Amino acid sequence: MSGKDSVSARNLVTCVLTDVQFWVPVAVLAAGLLLLEWIR
Amino acid sequence: MAALSPVAAAASSSRSRSLQLLGIFSGLTAGAWLGAAEAPTKLVTLGLSPMVISLVMVAGVFLARWSLPALILGTSSVRADAGRAPHLVLWAILAGFLWAVANTLTVYAIRDIGLSIAFPLWNSNSLLGILWGFLFFNELRGAGLARWLGVLGGTLVMCVGAAILAIASSGVHAAGANPTHGVLAALGAGVLWGTMYIPYRKAYVSGMNPLSFVTFFTIGEVGMMCALSFSTLGAQRLLAQLQSARGVIFWLMLGGFIWVIGDLFQQYAAKYIGISRGIPLSNTNQLWGLLWGVLVFGELHGRSATAHLQVIGGSLLMIAGVGAIIFSSTTARESSQWRVAAQREATRYGLSSDFVAARLDGRQSAGESAPSRTLLDWFLVALATAVFVYFAAIAEIPRIGGDWRPAALIALISLVLLTSCGVHLWRVTRFQ
Repeated sequence: MSGKDSVSARNLVTCVLTDVQFWVPVAVLAAGLLLLEWIR
Repeated sequence: MAALSPVAAAASSSRSRSLQLLGIFSGLTAGAWLGAAEAPTKLVTLGLSPMVISLVMVAGVFLARWSLPALILGTSSVRADAGRAPHLVLWAILAGFLWAVANTLTVYAIRDIGLSIAFPLWNSNSLLGILWGFLFFNELRGAGLARWLGVLGGTLVMCVGAAILAIASSGVHAAGANPTHGVLAALGAGVLWGTMYIPYRKAYVSGMNPLSFVTFFTIGEVGMMCALSFSTLGAQRLLAQLQSARGVIFWLMLGGFIWVIGDLFQQYAAKYIGISRGIPLSNTNQLWGLLWGVLVFGELHGRSATAHLQVIGGSLLMIAGVGAIIFSSTTARESSQWRVAAQREATRYGLSSDFVAARLDGRQSAGESAPSRTLLDWFLVALATAVFVYFAAIAEIPRIGGDWRPAALIALISLVLLTSCGVHLWRVTRFQ
């Protein structure tokens, strides 16, 4: 990977936190845990 | 992008066809091995909590997910993948969390509404996989109506066939304490599993090796399973159950190990034909599980003619669905859409475009060092082997009867599939 391509750690966190492909699984996981807590 | 010469275009098209066939072959092999994973668990007849059974299986899964990648490519390759795209480690662990929560929800779904109603509800995960594949990774974009009908129709037909098989094989279920909870748990498991395919596909369009992905996936899987087991049963009850299960731990861990072999092929299917086609194909595991149950353990013995007809009809529907998906292969136009999605990931996360393109094409990128094994890899393999040997030594001989001639035949077919698909994967992609 070239230096131009590399993403700094701070940018990486921003990239992750603004990625809808991160938040959809996180939201589904949170809902799944709540559901599990409710039915147990 | 510069136009390819006719020779280069022909080579690219031939490579694409070869990878698609490999993906289909991987999906079908995954089905055989995921189905075979049920066989060792059928040998366990003790009254153990389903949570304990899942936890011990996941322990076998954990050992397999660290030792097999170490044996096949070496942990240096896993480390290199994580270094190139560290964000994907997060997605892999997230996928492991999703799997564990979904798996636990199925326990409650079966308890409250029985397998015959719960299974079709959570089996909808492959349909959700198609939706996420289309929305996020450009799957089926530009595929044309015929292929849309083939994939979506084939998956729907497979779901109906699988539902009929579940009804035929599960028998009568006494109503549980709370049917609403059961329905919600089954639907929830389907949504969690369907969403788990987002991290799968994200990893593969970004160039991560499936062997690296599963190594991190299992950290989330085993971590969440431990947390859920402790919180459900409490440490004392859990340890007491594990102690009483000492004699069957080997069989459950063996089930987990076999499951990982199937899962690895499912990962390669998801990589080379996408989640919209790869996941339904590997869902043929239900057919293989049924073969083991009916031919080896006599599960339909004494059942009505209706149950036998349901099994035949459900199986034929599943095979028809598989055929429809196999004949709806990716077009050049759709493949170019996949590359657009891959480039988008490369740009967003600063990955080398050449690297991502090479990995999507099942190759190593220029300048990438060849995978090699170190002492650590052999240590991991030896440790996993030692754990299995220890539990095999204290394992109880199962008291359940079975017809071992069909078992030998199904095992032989599964081994032939494993060997031929494994060799094919090695020749075409070197397990990339």
